[in-house]
Amino acid sequence: MKKKLKLKILAGFMLLVALLIVAGTVSIIEFIKISRSVNALIEDNYKTIEASKTMLEALERSDSGILLILLGERDDGREILKSAELQFNKAFKVAQNNITETNEDKYIEIIGNFYNSLKDKIEITLDSRNKIGDMGWYHREVYQSFLDVKHAVDELMSLNQNSMYEEATILKEKSHRAIMPGIVAIAGALVFSLMLSFFISRYYVSPLGELAEAIKNYHPREKFIKTNIRSEDEIKKIEVEVNNLIEKLVKFHNEQI
Amino acid sequence: MRTEVIIKFTGFVLLFNAFFLIISSLISIFLAETSAIPLLFSGLICVIFGLFPFIFVEDHDEISFSEGLVIVVGGWIIACLIGMLPYLMWGGEFNLINAWFESVSGFTTTGSSILNNIENLPKGLLFWRSSTHWIGGVGVIMFVLLILPQSTSTRLTLLNAEMSELSKFNFRYKAKKVVHVLAIVYVGLTLLQTLALTIFGMSLFDAINHSFATIATGGFSTKNLSVAHFNSSLIESIIMLFMVLSGIHFGLLYGTFTFKRENIFRSHVVRSFITILFLGVFFVSAKLYTTGVYNFWESIRYGAFQVISLGTTTGFATADSANWPGFTHIILIYFTIQCAMVGSTSGGLKFDRVYLFFKSLRKQLTLIQHPRAVVVVRINDRPITEHLETLTLVFLVLYIFTFLVTTLILTSLNVDLYTAFSASIATIGNVGPGFGEVSSLSNYAGLPDLGKFVLTINMLMGRLEIFNIIALFMIKRGNF
Repeated sequence: MKKKLKLKILAGFMLLVALLIVAGTVSIIEFIKISRSVNALIEDNYKTIEASKTMLEALERSDSGILLILLGERDDGREILKSAELQFNKAFKVAQNNITETNEDKYIEIIGNFYNSLKDKIEITLDSRNKIGDMGWYHREVYQSFLDVKHAVDELMSLNQNSMYEEATILKEKSHRAIMPGIVAIAGALVFSLMLSFFISRYYVSPLGELAEAIKNYHPREKFIKTNIRSEDEIKKIEVEVNNLIEKLVKFHNEQI
Repeated sequence: MRTEVIIKFTGFVLLFNAFFLIISSLISIFLAETSAIPLLFSGLICVIFGLFPFIFVEDHDEISFSEGLVIVVGGWIIACLIGMLPYLMWGGEFNLINAWFESVSGFTTTGSSILNNIENLPKGLLFWRSSTHWIGGVGVIMFVLLILPQSTSTRLTLLNAEMSELSKFNFRYKAKKVVHVLAIVYVGLTLLQTLALTIFGMSLFDAINHSFATIATGGFSTKNLSVAHFNSSLIESIIMLFMVLSGIHFGLLYGTFTFKRENIFRSHVVRSFITILFLGVFFVSAKLYTTGVYNFWESIRYGAFQVISLGTTTGFATADSANWPGFTHIILIYFTIQCAMVGSTSGGLKFDRVYLFFKSLRKQLTLIQHPRAVVVVRINDRPITEHLETLTLVFLVLYIFTFLVTTLILTSLNVDLYTAFSASIATIGNVGPGFGEVSSLSNYAGLPDLGKFVLTINMLMGRLEIFNIIALFMIKRGNF
């Protein structure tokens, strides 16, 4: 098959371009995946972890509120309890609307049940004036309920933290897979360029040099120039045309004589 | 030497690898695995670099022997380099040196691994891992010779560079026929074993992968516990049978199946090989039983599997031989050094050379007694030339020298002597598992990076039969 010089060089560059396009596309796809994973990480786990922290903070404040009531500081205690309840409910709602892990709904349900039980005990404390100073009641009933809710929230937070850690590990792998095609493509392109320059030198530069040398060394007694060009491209065509020219010149010269 | 011709031939090797990479990537795509892109991208790199030389390089004349040698050695190195790309791109336990180690171990059919958790690998990548065994088993250039139309002299030159002098001994065919015989036996055995394993309960995927690893005498399994995972004596028996068949000269196997005169029943070498394997099984099993490691049947079951696995350079495992008595270790180390027959897919020293060594030894002893006697060494009633005899003895010395140097390097890197020694002989013999830290159910992950790299050189030396590598340096120095 006769291949033109232009076609050969173009084909070589097209392969290089194909390599870079594919590497770029792969990297883009992988980076989009990473971006999605980061979003998922924030949406799925981080929100719930933050909500859990808020719930824990609200619980601690509720505990302080109850203790204040039991110590006789009723108004201050009531105030703290009210704002803590609001804070807890808000955070609880966030967690409730962000169920992303397996069995996470059950964890939420348990928190809800334990919190309702704690709320009942808080109501009893608020309703009954004879509970003031009764630390035994606090330890037996309220503190136990407080611990139950706290543990349930801790478990929800652990579930999301573990999942976040796993996701981060996967993310690390994904970023590796996003970077590698680029690195391989750069290395490949370097090798490819070396090969291309070798082929250009071997098949175009050297034959041209050979042709120039043959023309330079041409002696009028010879009928044509001699080269070792084996290709069937434009360079061979030049050789053939130079020989045709010599033939014509010789013919013209002979006619003149 | 014409660089462009060498580049063109190594391009063929890349295209052949691309075929298996694309199949592996299709498996990954079908199973929605994370290895799909690394495999597909590596396949594309192979296609681009494989096709590129065709644009420029015109049809060539015959190739010289030195060109053939560079093509063969270069083909192996290029295959190993490309083979590591999917591992490297996928990540996990694969860093640069680990990916290189796994790739070289695969192509050279050594079967040593750096993976702590093989089952964590996606199936596509597992298939590629086994494919490297299958491509390397019969030689990366052999497939090029099989598929592409080459002139007779080109085929002969490449065949001479790929196969050792001794390997050609039992092939009484022309170069083209030798390639066809190898391909028929290789593909035939693979299909038969896959069928047998599937019938006896292995999944098709595991059956294909284990067949690739068995027929290539490689040893990569898809399971962390290797063949022990299946805990089936039937599966073990099938694998043992095919390990033995893969360790025998393929020309003789072809002769047997086609009722030719040159067959396994008439070969003294095959008879001796089988006898020694049998003796190995007997002594190891007896020791295991008498020392109470296993009961009677278990001693035979585990003893036989381990001896055949190491004796054929496959490297599968059904038990952790690291805990076996020292006597069994000595026998197993002997089989790791001896390896299987020439003309098979096994690497390393090869049994035929050991056989020839003892024949030469007998000849020398006779010559001491009768200095004027004319003694000719014969194998299967055919005389062996003095040249081949000398070549074999030189190879033996070089082989021992190489693994001793590797042991020395490993011990200098603070690897314990037993591990260093067994790892060296297991890698140069393309066997796989050694003893100590690198025992049959363990891996090479714990070795230092430089040690792993040295062992990969060992694997390539074992696969390319040392001489080719030395000859390559001689070409560079202009002495060849």
